Amino acid sequence: MKTFLGFGKVIVLASLFSLTGCGTYNRLVTLEQTVNKKWADVQSVYQRRADLIPNLVSTVAGAANFEKSTLTEVTNARASVGQVKLDPSKAPTDAAELERFQKAQGQLSTALSRLLVVSENYPQLRATESFKGLQVQLEGTENRISVERNNFNTAVQEYNTALERFPTNMLNKMFGFKPRPFFTAAAGAEKAPEVKFDFSSKPATTPAPATTPAATP
Amino acid sequence: MIRAFAVFVLFVFGAANLDGAEKFPPKPAGYFNDYANVVPKEKALALNERLAQFERETSNQVVVAVFRKMESDSDIADYSQRIAESWKVGQAGKRNGAVLFVFIDDRKMFIQVGYGLEGALPDLTAFDITERHIKPRFRAGDYAGGLDEGIDLILKAIRGEYKGDGATVQEKSRASASSGCGPLGFIIMLIVVLAIIRLGRRRGGYGYTGLGGPFITSGWGSGWSGSSSSSSGGFSGFSGGGGSFGGGGAGSSW
Repeated sequence: MKTFLGFGKVIVLASLFSLTGCGTYNRLVTLEQTVNKKWADVQSVYQRRADLIPNLVSTVAGAANFEKSTLTEVTNARASVGQVKLDPSKAPTDAAELERFQKAQGQLSTALSRLLVVSENYPQLRATESFKGLQVQLEGTENRISVERNNFNTAVQEYNTALERFPTNMLNKMFGFKPRPFFTAAAGAEKAPEVKFDFSSKPATTPAPATTPAATP
Repeated sequence: MIRAFAVFVLFVFGAANLDGAEKFPPKPAGYFNDYANVVPKEKALALNERLAQFERETSNQVVVAVFRKMESDSDIADYSQRIAESWKVGQAGKRNGAVLFVFIDDRKMFIQVGYGLEGALPDLTAFDITERHIKPRFRAGDYAGGLDEGIDLILKAIRGEYKGDGATVQEKSRASASSGCGPLGFIIMLIVVLAIIRLGRRRGGYGYTGLGGPFITSGWGSGWSGSSSSSSGGFSGFSGGGGSFGGGGAGSSW
């Protein structure tokens, strides 16, 4: 009986295979690789932003009596971003993991935009070449982030759709393809941030020391 | 019939028509596209030829698009990035395109820089070009002068980054189309054209008139209806090579 069931399974699988062909498998692999590639792009633009911050902080701190709390907020947000580093070569499969990442980055976005708003009160600072340059670079980085996030979401959508289609949906579990979570639209960016940094919480499970810079500038 | 045609045009070009308020301009016919009619004809033609020649020499595709106003609620960086991406400015592998967008009534401009040129034309340089060179001239009402200088600086920044092979994308595709298809392709095209003419005649004859020209602007209202130039004479047409944009670049308002 058991062997008969096993045999039946083989027959079913074989017929499924002949229906879909190896093309499906190869297509899924390609789509998954695209998702991972786009994820790496997302990571690199976020990294680009993180790299700008030490420079920004030191430029702003040089301005006479610049509001301290705004600066501390940016520094802290930057530090907590460093703590939720995800593997840059592989898109996360866990939605909660991506959400944590997105939340940390969202807090940094809020802190940065607040810093730019506060800087309006310091015309002398805004007039300096270095501040102007940093502002342009920061804006450019934010533009890139939104583009790469969109590209990532598009790739994920294509991949997830391919996974759910019949009869691929019967095969994907066997091959271990998992649907990937999306970025949600501007989450955290619009909400006022709760300035509460829980440094005791564990960082993301996947360490990526190769690209992780020092967490605190 | 005319309405059906307008719907068809919207359907073809309005792929990114997400929130109703946003309109997407169709692919440009040339390199220098003055839809707002702020630059004299001869000047526009000269700039167009200059940009076409630049592609022949360097393979970099630089496009200028001057519109009356933005037909979108999103900000200029985001809107112009999606337009540049949809136009596929730049060569496929090198992604070496750049587009200078100007919206006259909004008093805004933005240089979108393709992935492959972000090194040669970083955000700061793009900002310097719009802020210090184009903006003062635009403020004085000298659009032609501002665009001329802007183009000059963009070309200067990205020259030397890549090498061209003497022909634009459009010239190459024309050459391969005539040699590759042979008589069979011609016969198929002939049948298709005859079928269209027949169909058109049966439905009253008009309505397909827009298909013959180089641009289909009839469905576009006042926004983009100005013509950049016709493809007669020495005009070099533009075709995107498959470039891609990642949000690089910068802009100014004046």
